[in-house]
Amino acid sequence: MKWKLGLIGLLALPLSAWAQQPYAGKTLTIIVGYKAGGGYDATARLLARHLPKHIPGKPTVIVQNMPGANSMIAANHVYNVAKPDGLTIGTFNRNLPVAQLTNVQGVKYDMTKFAWIGSAASECTILALRTDLQINSVEDLRRAKQPLVIGATGPGANTYDFPLLLKEFLGFNLKIVTGYQSSADIMLAIERKEVDGRAGSFTSIRPFIDRKLVRPVLRARADEPGVEQLPIDEDLATNPRAKAIMALRSAPEIVGRPYVMHPDTSPEHLKIMREAFAKAIDDKELIAEATKAKMELNYVGADVAVKVMKEMLSQPKDVVEEFSKYVKFGE
Amino acid sequence: MLEALLEGLVLVLQWKALAFMLLGILLGFWVGLLPGLGGATTLAQMLPFVYTMQPVEAFAFLLGMHSVTATTGDITSVLFGVPGEAASAATILDGYAMAKKGEAGRALGAALASSLVGALVGAFALAAAIPIVRPLVLTFGSPELFMLAVVGLAFIAALSSQGGRGMLRGFLAGALGLFLATIGQDPQAGVARYALGTLYLWQGLDLVPVLVGLFAIPEIIDLVVRGTSIAGALPAGKLSRGALEGVKDTFRHFWLTIRCSLIGTFIGIMPGMGGAVAQWMAYGHATQSARTAEERKGFGQGDVRGVLGPGAANNSKEGGSLIPTIAFGVPGSTAMAILLGGFFLLGLVPGPDMLSKHLAVTFSMVWTIVIANVITVIACFALLNKLAQLTTVRGSLLIPVILVLVFIGSYTSNNHYGDLVVTLLSGGVGYLMVLAGWPRAPFVLGLVLGKIAENYLYISTARYGAQWLTRPVVLVLIAIAVAVILYPLFQARRRAAAHA
Repeated sequence: MKWKLGLIGLLALPLSAWAQQPYAGKTLTIIVGYKAGGGYDATARLLARHLPKHIPGKPTVIVQNMPGANSMIAANHVYNVAKPDGLTIGTFNRNLPVAQLTNVQGVKYDMTKFAWIGSAASECTILALRTDLQINSVEDLRRAKQPLVIGATGPGANTYDFPLLLKEFLGFNLKIVTGYQSSADIMLAIERKEVDGRAGSFTSIRPFIDRKLVRPVLRARADEPGVEQLPIDEDLATNPRAKAIMALRSAPEIVGRPYVMHPDTSPEHLKIMREAFAKAIDDKELIAEATKAKMELNYVGADVAVKVMKEMLSQPKDVVEEFSKYVKFGE
Repeated sequence: MLEALLEGLVLVLQWKALAFMLLGILLGFWVGLLPGLGGATTLAQMLPFVYTMQPVEAFAFLLGMHSVTATTGDITSVLFGVPGEAASAATILDGYAMAKKGEAGRALGAALASSLVGALVGAFALAAAIPIVRPLVLTFGSPELFMLAVVGLAFIAALSSQGGRGMLRGFLAGALGLFLATIGQDPQAGVARYALGTLYLWQGLDLVPVLVGLFAIPEIIDLVVRGTSIAGALPAGKLSRGALEGVKDTFRHFWLTIRCSLIGTFIGIMPGMGGAVAQWMAYGHATQSARTAEERKGFGQGDVRGVLGPGAANNSKEGGSLIPTIAFGVPGSTAMAILLGGFFLLGLVPGPDMLSKHLAVTFSMVWTIVIANVITVIACFALLNKLAQLTTVRGSLLIPVILVLVFIGSYTSNNHYGDLVVTLLSGGVGYLMVLAGWPRAPFVLGLVLGKIAENYLYISTARYGAQWLTRPVVLVLIAIAVAVILYPLFQARRRAAAHA
């Protein structure tokens, strides 16, 4: 009798272990919607190094780059092609809900239906101007007589959309010049005084603020350590329509580094992943690495992410129409 | 200054830094030869390993790896006509043609020796330019960068065959390249142009699948049709003597090599011009060195100068492209963007400080490029004759291997089946162009420079109106562009006068 129990025990052991550790011996793939080298890629690779410690069963985590169409290809893949087995995670352009909202051709996903793990960071957009212009506040900005030349990459990027709304709704005297190949190229144009400033994520501009090349003047709503004292664009808008449009533009930034899985992923897998992300982002070793690399991660929960998506995608038709006049889907 | 130069050398020569550099070179060597493992991806994967290293060791490791991939990329270009990287396609035109004539050894020798000269010239030009490099880069605003692209396009005149018919074909091919460069989301209105309803084309045509198709596919078809080995039916033994001959060629055309190295360094320093531009401009310049019409016709059919020019530019641009990253903190390429991540990890702030306070570290990077290239070239020479033997292997055995190189190489640029479609289509276009005698180089130049020209022209007019046309450097560049276009005419006239 005893040996029978033992046998059952032996059989049951791996089974119960499997029930608790569906990830043991497995390989998890994080699909990044961009080529290697950018911020989305760097964040994913950092997480891939530290996630295994926090997932029961310590799976191998690898990063796969699937660039194209501002990460729409990757999002479509995770939504339609990847298996819902909890082994494929996607991280894409935070502006994908904008593509869905403005009915861009080729969208084959519903942002509200993804199995959300959450976001690894908030990314706040700021406007920074050359230090030698001596523009220190919004009042100085309003007083500017000559139009301030703002360098931008193109529509759909925060380098363009953010100053465009400032110009349209707050009446700032800005002249936006598009066509720079990357935000790095705009930085160089600032250095040679071809342009007076740029908008962009605080993380990417910070080294140049530290070097006193530019000074931040204004920011969007998403919170991030280091930007607290700056005025927020929405607060300066007087009419509710302007506020709504600005809020809609900045909403995705709260979910700055989105991480999702296939909509049909089982709740068990999802629960394990959410916990693992929350723990990994709090991991001391990860924080040490991130600080060195001048990256700032903070876990934004799935509930917040889903709420932001639902709010964005349930806007009244007239707001969406007005919004799509200014903001297009892009990088 | 001199002190920092020496200090930089001493820093690199410490055993730990040197050991890491060797490790980097070894990795880079593999990555460069294997298709698909791009240099940038490998850099991104290696970044975590530098956390615990000292700055000099870390850069010796990363840069050692990075500078080798440029050299080894040329090897597959010469041997099989398959560009290892987007930046090493220009070597194919004459390098592979030489391999077909049974001169693979000489072509490889020339490519490697010129690479070495290029790396040395690039590094020393860089060291000499450090005091003036910030003003130099800042002088080149959007109007100047636009004109630089125009000068590049003017090289189409040099890359086309002479006579009215040849010029017409060259400029039409260039126009086709410019047209294809407009594919993708445009930066002014955000509209997806000519995307044919696909998501794949939103980002525009990727250079790697286009170049691989354009150059490799026609050669593969040719190899199939001939049914021989790449080098045809040549007596064995002739190959091995070639390598030294290639080195001698480098010194025979020493000034050309130096000039092309300087072109490479200069284009490398200019942010946003990209590695492919440097190589094709150097190739265009090399063809200008032909003195007679017969000599000019030899280009594309295995003139060694067509290997020396791009070979030199390919490595000298590496030193140059460090400058925007180090001195301004703005990377000029993906690989440099990853390297910039390395700066932060090591607690260094790129910017003016790197040219004053941390000058020794900056020089250690220059030295790393020099030493890594010397080591690679020596290592390659040891393998060179064995490599050249590959061109005597029967085509039917080699073709499957080359096809794998071709398709894996292009597929990995986006991991999308669209890459394969683009490769095949450009292969078809390339084959037709070869059949009809249309030059492929102007097409590539148009494709490579199209977006740069469009964007900077837009920025220049949006920012300065028509006034940018009066900027002094712009005027000088206009003069250079005109001179480059008229040079073939001038040459023809001089020849006519000499004959009379």
